[in-house]
Amino acid sequence: MRRGRWILGAATCAMVLAVLIGFHAGSAQDGKGKKPPAAPTVYNPYPSGILPADLESEIERVRREVNFIFQQALADWRALPPPNLTGQPPKLQGSGYDMVQTLGKLMNFDENISVFKNQACASCHMPYAGFSGPIPSVNLTMVAFPGSFHFRAGKRTAQRYTYSPWFPVLQFNETQALFFGGNFWDSRATGYLLQNPDAEQAQGPPVDTQEMGSPDTACIAFKLSQAEYRPLFEQVWGKGALDIKFPHDTEKICGTPGGAAVFGTDTTPVKLSPGDRTKANRVYDNWAQSLDAFEKSKEVSPFTSKFDAVLKSLVSLTPDEMAGYNLFRGKANCNSCHTDGRGTTLTPGQTDNSNVAVFNPLFTCFGSANEGLPLNPRNAFYYQTTPDFFGFTANPFGFAYRDLGMGTFLRSGFGSWPNPNAEWIPLAPTADGTFQVATARNVAMTPTCPPGSPPGCVACPTTEAPGPYFQKGFFHNGYIKSLKQLVHFYNTRDLFAFPVTSGHCPPGTIEKVNCWPTPEVPNNLDCTTGNLGLTDREENQIVTFLQTLTDGFTKPYPNRDTFTGRCMTGGSASTQGNEFLIPTPPLPPCAAAICGVPPFPNPPTFCPVTPRPVTAKR
Amino acid sequence: MNRLLPRLAIATIVASLLLSNPGAAQVLPPAKKAERVRITKAPELELATDHLIIIRWTTNNPGGSDVHYGIVHYGTDPQDLSETAKNPIRLNQGHPRTTFRVRMEGLKPRTTYYYRVTSEESNGKSDGVKSAVKKFTTPGPGERMVPKSD
Repeated sequence: MRRGRWILGAATCAMVLAVLIGFHAGSAQDGKGKKPPAAPTVYNPYPSGILPADLESEIERVRREVNFIFQQALADWRALPPPNLTGQPPKLQGSGYDMVQTLGKLMNFDENISVFKNQACASCHMPYAGFSGPIPSVNLTMVAFPGSFHFRAGKRTAQRYTYSPWFPVLQFNETQALFFGGNFWDSRATGYLLQNPDAEQAQGPPVDTQEMGSPDTACIAFKLSQAEYRPLFEQVWGKGALDIKFPHDTEKICGTPGGAAVFGTDTTPVKLSPGDRTKANRVYDNWAQSLDAFEKSKEVSPFTSKFDAVLKSLVSLTPDEMAGYNLFRGKANCNSCHTDGRGTTLTPGQTDNSNVAVFNPLFTCFGSANEGLPLNPRNAFYYQTTPDFFGFTANPFGFAYRDLGMGTFLRSGFGSWPNPNAEWIPLAPTADGTFQVATARNVAMTPTCPPGSPPGCVACPTTEAPGPYFQKGFFHNGYIKSLKQLVHFYNTRDLFAFPVTSGHCPPGTIEKVNCWPTPEVPNNLDCTTGNLGLTDREENQIVTFLQTLTDGFTKPYPNRDTFTGRCMTGGSASTQGNEFLIPTPPLPPCAAAICGVPPFPNPPTFCPVTPRPVTAKR
Repeated sequence: MNRLLPRLAIATIVASLLLSNPGAAQVLPPAKKAERVRITKAPELELATDHLIIIRWTTNNPGGSDVHYGIVHYGTDPQDLSETAKNPIRLNQGHPRTTFRVRMEGLKPRTTYYYRVTSEESNGKSDGVKSAVKKFTTPGPGERMVPKSD
């Protein structure tokens, strides 16, 4: 009986939904709907406990913080001197840097750009987190941040902006036979057209179906044409740059999220003349370049860490920090990928007399690697298997989805972007499971409250339990919850390898302490790491060193004091977040749309891992 | 003395910074290829479980491409090492030695395997080194052994 009632209710809901979708689709298409538009039904396909309980209040908290900084950016703009465009070619003498960076800052904190005018770029990238995810409970649980249409969500953690502009255009270095550069975890923002991967990265989220959600890049030009700071855009990029004749239905189209059934496969539903389309494309390039200018500015990437101060001989590292640094470039071999611009010291106390490759070491080799992270069953992406209000399904494969990272990008595969270089397609099997080597800079950044901070400022001095700490999510899928765990993972991934998925470690073991579940993707697994032989104390010393890479030591990091949420306390960094582990369901084989795309991954399919008891003995 | 070393280190860092090229965002050139790559620590089992075997060995730093592949050719017949497992490792140009590690999965329990190791650059060019043929026996179901290292 109860089941019957449920079916009846579900059928009624489906009919209502169909009517709503049909109505909305029509209104978006012709703009002549006779009834007022229906409010979209929130999309919540998630089992209980996947969305954090405080999600809505936390989204509102971040919105307040974003708007605070947006107002600050408006004030920055109004304080700029009058532009002095002069010379041949014409340049904004004296104020050009400030103008384009301020423009980028305004764009970064502008909620109006998103489809429902409720989400800025910064909503997932706030300064106090090194411009990564600002909601501790999201970092702890669902990993991917909810988009403008609640609660669609992406599939990976929000990458830090800091120093992303330094990544080169993606290239395959034939001498090394390796890829270098690009932006995004899977390097899909190659930079091939703008010759700037960071800028091309900024062109992703505004039209990402699960992020800011616009259905057409022209919507960004449309919204910039209405922005309060339009005069600044035209001062930087040229008078008339935004003079585009938009059709009368643009507002409605740009208020309907990408992926909506009404659009079909049309990626340019805003119908513009060829000339205006070219102009809108140019505006979207300028959007990207302005954001890149902001991310390269001293507001985001200032080289003000303690490590930078050491390089300038202003301070010394403490004994523990120095020990951590020597491990970082010695026994632990971190600097083989997170290059520090220096040589190595293998013997404690050895004097470093190596040459320096760069003044401003970026702690990344710009490469990619598969570190063998287990599948994280809390990732919100796995649950978006049914159509939302607009008829869009983010992940029709559910737990048959596998994140092959760069390999999927090279195949122009599901959830990535088209690969613009056909020569790279055969290389996909060598890139399966690999993700960008992030800079280690600002991996430890958390909110602070120096004197003069805005009212309500909350400081969380560390990422590590017992804290008070600011919860982050590390690596592409957020499986790791503290820097201690991160270093311990590199140190013991293979030593404590078990043939189980997350949530199924055998009795007598503790996940992330002496049990590491099997990698989501076993291909191309990096074996530089996995058994480094570090002691517990040495792991802690590396964490201490990583904390010296946080900007804001030589001068305050802008807006690091805008966090108004709550820190977490208690527990241990080793098991931080373990109370939120959930059992991974039995995994179906990798979906054909992912692993069945040539050139095939090797091994070709990833079989489900069946949890079974394992006896631990040494 | 303890304080002197860090100061010396920092002074050296600063001096070398002043003399260095300020270029940024450049991919480091490959290290000079070693004249001869030789195994300095013979292959050994690092871990043996019923689902995963890890073999490790050490060579002098082979140089060349930053990523190398450790390769294990193996089989149950010492005359037929037709199976292959390989994993990438990243060289540290500043380290005199390089440790290769290769993971082997899907082996049969309580079975003796014979193997030989070698390595190559990321473009497939061999380092020109290979070990003698060695053997190991996989544990039984549910068993797990972490051999003590030397």
